[in-house]
Amino acid sequence: MAKILYVQTSGPDTPERLYAPFILGATAVNMGDEAAIFFMIKGVMVVKQGEAEKVGVGAFPPLAEVMRQALDAGVKVYICEQSTQLLGIPRGEFIPEGVIAGGATLNDLALEAEAVLTF
Amino acid sequence: MIDEEVPARELDCVGLFCPEPIARTKEEIEKVAVGEVLKVEADDPAAEEDITRWAKRTGHEIVRFEKEEGILTFYIRRTT
Repeated sequence: MAKILYVQTSGPDTPERLYAPFILGATAVNMGDEAAIFFMIKGVMVVKQGEAEKVGVGAFPPLAEVMRQALDAGVKVYICEQSTQLLGIPRGEFIPEGVIAGGATLNDLALEAEAVLTF
Repeated sequence: MIDEEVPARELDCVGLFCPEPIARTKEEIEKVAVGEVLKVEADDPAAEEDITRWAKRTGHEIVRFEKEEGILTFYIRRTT
């Protein structure tokens, strides 16, 4: 079983960049691999409760649906604590599935993974 | 019976954020002897995942972990 890490640094101001980690993560899990998404910098805004519901691009379904599919498939979500401070978002406002983590976790996930993709 | 979790040294990281809890824990673990326990308290929510991963990667053993009213307490045995 391989491990893939996706790093999401983009926020809701570039909605077209937000779908890929969820879709790829769910695909990875469905192929028997482990997938994790680490949200940092503006990326943490994506996992603020209620935000994914507001994002939609073209004919794509609302981001919330794609996120739910990924979470249900077993994609792990990590949220950079320092980024939540940087943007002034209280920690209790994030999706409950998200694990608040920091630099040691991001580096550890990257070293454990066979591939790291950044969006 | 010897209480295996009695800390030889304590570290207060309350109020400190990433990467300070990791940096200070690394510094302090070197001040206890191999086999002894370092107690670390932190309130950075990232520390739960970070210190757990730091311990796993460095080989040190978390012999006890408590979470109470936002304070995370780790008892870490130095192994190397």
